[in-house]
Amino acid sequence: MSTPLPPVALYLHLPFCVAHCPYCDFVVYAGGEARGPRARTERLYEAVGRELEMRADALDERFGRPDSGGPRRPDKGGPTDEHGPTDERGPRRPDKGGPTDERGRTDERGPRRPLDSVYFGGGTPSLVPGEWLERLMETAQRRYGLARDAEVTLEANPGPDERGDLAGFAAAGVNRVSFGAQSMNGGELRRLGRRHSPEDVATAVAEARAAGLGSVNLDLLYDVPGQTIAGWEATLRAALELRPDHLSLYALTLDDPDAEGLTGETGDHLPTSSGARRWREAARREQDDDRAAEQYRLASDLLAGSGWRGYEISNWARPGHESRHNLTYWERRPYEAVGPGSHAFDGAVRRWNGAALQPYIAALLPAAGPGVVPPGDREVISPETAAAERSILALRLDRGVPAAWADEPSAAGAFAWGRSSGLLEAVELDGEARLRLTLRGRLLSNELFERLL
Amino acid sequence: MTIPQDRLRNFSIIAHIDHGKTTLSDRLLELTHTIDPRQMTSQVLDSMDLEKEHGITIKARAVRLEYTASDGLVYGLNLIDTPGHVDFSYEVSRSLQACEGAILVIDATQGIEAQTLANVHLALKQNLTIIPVLNKIDLPSAQIDVVIDELENVLAIPREEVLLASAKDGTGVAEILEAIVQRVPPPKGDPEAPLQGLIFDSHYDPYKGVIIHIRLAQGTLHQHDIIRLMGSGAEAELVELGFFRPQLVPVPELHAGDVGYVATGLKSVRDAQVGDTVTTVAHPAEHPLPGYQPAKSLVFAGIYPIVGSDYPLLRDAMEKLHLNDASLSFEPESSVALGFGFRCGFLGLLHMEIVEERLEREFGQELIASAPSVQYKVVLMHGQGTVDVDNPSRMPDAGVIEEIQEPWVKLGIVTPSSYIGTLMELAKNRRGTFLEMEYLDPKRVLLNFELPLAEVIVDFYDQLKTRTQGYASMDFEEIGYRPANLVKVDVLVAGDPVDALSVIVHRERAQAIGRELVHRLRGLIPRQMFDVAVQAAIGSNVIARETVVAMRKNVLAKCYGGDITRKRKLLEKQKEGKQRMKRVGSVEIPQEAFLAVLRMDEA
Repeated sequence: MSTPLPPVALYLHLPFCVAHCPYCDFVVYAGGEARGPRARTERLYEAVGRELEMRADALDERFGRPDSGGPRRPDKGGPTDEHGPTDERGPRRPDKGGPTDERGRTDERGPRRPLDSVYFGGGTPSLVPGEWLERLMETAQRRYGLARDAEVTLEANPGPDERGDLAGFAAAGVNRVSFGAQSMNGGELRRLGRRHSPEDVATAVAEARAAGLGSVNLDLLYDVPGQTIAGWEATLRAALELRPDHLSLYALTLDDPDAEGLTGETGDHLPTSSGARRWREAARREQDDDRAAEQYRLASDLLAGSGWRGYEISNWARPGHESRHNLTYWERRPYEAVGPGSHAFDGAVRRWNGAALQPYIAALLPAAGPGVVPPGDREVISPETAAAERSILALRLDRGVPAAWADEPSAAGAFAWGRSSGLLEAVELDGEARLRLTLRGRLLSNELFERLL
Repeated sequence: MTIPQDRLRNFSIIAHIDHGKTTLSDRLLELTHTIDPRQMTSQVLDSMDLEKEHGITIKARAVRLEYTASDGLVYGLNLIDTPGHVDFSYEVSRSLQACEGAILVIDATQGIEAQTLANVHLALKQNLTIIPVLNKIDLPSAQIDVVIDELENVLAIPREEVLLASAKDGTGVAEILEAIVQRVPPPKGDPEAPLQGLIFDSHYDPYKGVIIHIRLAQGTLHQHDIIRLMGSGAEAELVELGFFRPQLVPVPELHAGDVGYVATGLKSVRDAQVGDTVTTVAHPAEHPLPGYQPAKSLVFAGIYPIVGSDYPLLRDAMEKLHLNDASLSFEPESSVALGFGFRCGFLGLLHMEIVEERLEREFGQELIASAPSVQYKVVLMHGQGTVDVDNPSRMPDAGVIEEIQEPWVKLGIVTPSSYIGTLMELAKNRRGTFLEMEYLDPKRVLLNFELPLAEVIVDFYDQLKTRTQGYASMDFEEIGYRPANLVKVDVLVAGDPVDALSVIVHRERAQAIGRELVHRLRGLIPRQMFDVAVQAAIGSNVIARETVVAMRKNVLAKCYGGDITRKRKLLEKQKEGKQRMKRVGSVEIPQEAFLAVLRMDEA
């Protein structure tokens, strides 16, 4: 088994939403849990802060205290930090995709280094009150350390009552915002149960720019019921007109967490409501793999022609705006995570918190006593599985894997099949022979990945 | 306790399915205190899960009741339960051979059904005393006089012999017990003569070995006797002998006329065949008892393990099941598409389903079954003789065939007269010929047809039930082979023939069936990495073709921190699903595709 490593990234799950979209199976609490007199938002934020401390205690014990990342938090009151409104650099990638040691990244071993990225996911984290965001950032900074150029992302919805105080978030240290735009077509947005309009997306992006957020992502969905190829192209072009820095293009995925056995007592997902289940069944009947493949190809061509880099199967960026936090996942580097349903990984073990809100809060904030880590579960990754995961995750990226990985006896058959089926191509990048997915290979990647397992 | 031979009564209960046979058995057990009322669960004798679920009896079962009759004497009544479905009439006839009498149960709300007729004929053939019982007389819809008229008119049963009962509330059950004592003759057979015992069933017990269910025709069996099975020649010392009450209760001796069990310690399934005769080594009988006609298989299909390496386990399971179900026949075969498996013969389609389910549940086998077929007789050209073909893929080349003959049956349907039209149409669609019609009462008729067996086995029964809202019942018997204009339709996937999917059909329907087959298969074969042609062909002549177009998308859109374990598991599941598929050439085909042939409706 691999040696445990200290985290280089931190994920915080803030699960509240104004409303629950029927296709979404993230851990989300909406309605009375999120708003009104009986809302449990404050308790949850406090519990997340508490978990952040407890996880830090454990890391201190295992790896020692982190190097301080140095003072980073800007003065309160104005967006005058290094990522100011006129700063077009955005978060900088450490070495512009330079060669990394995919086998182990020894640089993570030694003493704890400050975090390279922080990610607030949800839910709709933009609903979090500014003071809570500041407190969580302060705890992260104090207990984990934050690199000077750390990427700090916050997910947001574009609606006027959902996107929150973007300037305030920037002031608290956020420098990247990811908007759940999903579509630039009003009809599609309504069908998806979204509460915002295409105009809201434009306003939200403008506000983010005005707040000095240096990197803006838009999430968009294809293979949406009723969506045509032309409609998808229109959404893409409308999104590009807003000049985002990053696009995540996802095929609408309607899974069934209950059927996958993820919704038990310590499961990381919540049971699907009967309404959502009916919605998904109806929507699934209107999905079409052929149309989706066409839409994907169209997006790939359009974005490549506009100078974008499709650096991951579902992610495109203007050069320099690749998501460093998400690259941590694909490069299989260690990350810490807090909040209900969140997953952490230390290079050897993946652990997760249960999705249920009440047990989460009750464990961390008991009526008496110091509290304990919330209920959850863990998975020890065997060396064989780790090797397969490493290949699968790396192949999602446009740089692929070193060609030498195909010589490993356990993977050789799969790689050979991938090449003969036209899913993999051999390329030379920075003087190194590598194997990466072709466009067809991206669309059929599961066929290769399951052979690697 | 030992009961003298003149106070033994061996009887069965025969009935159409759902007429209340099992409930009546339960009542008899209660009334004779065979089972403590507190331990009484319904359907005591249907011990298989499958039987309780389907509400049917599959296996015959025996139980000894001790009954104090109105003359003050204790009688030993051996009840041998029988199955009620058309497929299992073979089991019924075997049970009846161990009896002197039969209780004929008729539902007073339904009257005579097809199975009633069939079972009565079986019982009369064995010269059994029949005790007619009208059951469910407590129901408001009971038509006692109408049904008694039916019995008198159709089966010539005198009305004064008919007993009225409700097995549900117990009415009339005591009278049935008295009637058994008074009307059923005691068994004959000299207890001092050399032992002859008929094996009418058997089962395997992990501690006691093969347990033989036996009816003694003559002689006496003692503990520690060394027995010989006259057919197989196997010898064994008795480990235990006793009665079914219904659990095994040991006794020191079994006498002529008794029905009971002997535990032999025999380990081999093959040594104790049902129908064989048991005698003793010390005092052997000269001749075995007549035994049974071997069961005649009507439906044949290949049964294969999903995972090829499970073949030895499947063989083991088949052998064990066969001990318990003598009517199942099987022999090894291999298929290009399915690997190594067994060609099995069944009594009917329900029997086939039951065997598959038992193999899956009781033996943990994962199976794939090919389309069921009947057995054809193929007359070869130039006097080369006749071959039996029960597997379409073994059909000789069309060029050497002089003639193909298929089995026909005489089919009896009992139905309310309002459905005559739709049933005539059904039979005609299935190449049937109408023979005659007989009114059972003003509203119900018995229709007789002749049909090719192949047209009956697949879903005729379902169609019958659908078209008559469940009111009609059927039974059939074989009437021999007749020439037919039949062809073999092969299915090719990406140019490779899938032997397991070949079917033999009437020439006029070949085109339609070929098209339907190809169309269904196209929908069931998952899209592959390349286009796949699905064709139906007679010989080299392609009669239908469709294409499974290549897969264009199989990708996980999102894969972030919380997804990695989850998505990996989805991939593992997808991979597992594929491993369960069968490869034909370069194409992966799921089990459902093979079963598609089974589900073909009338084209």
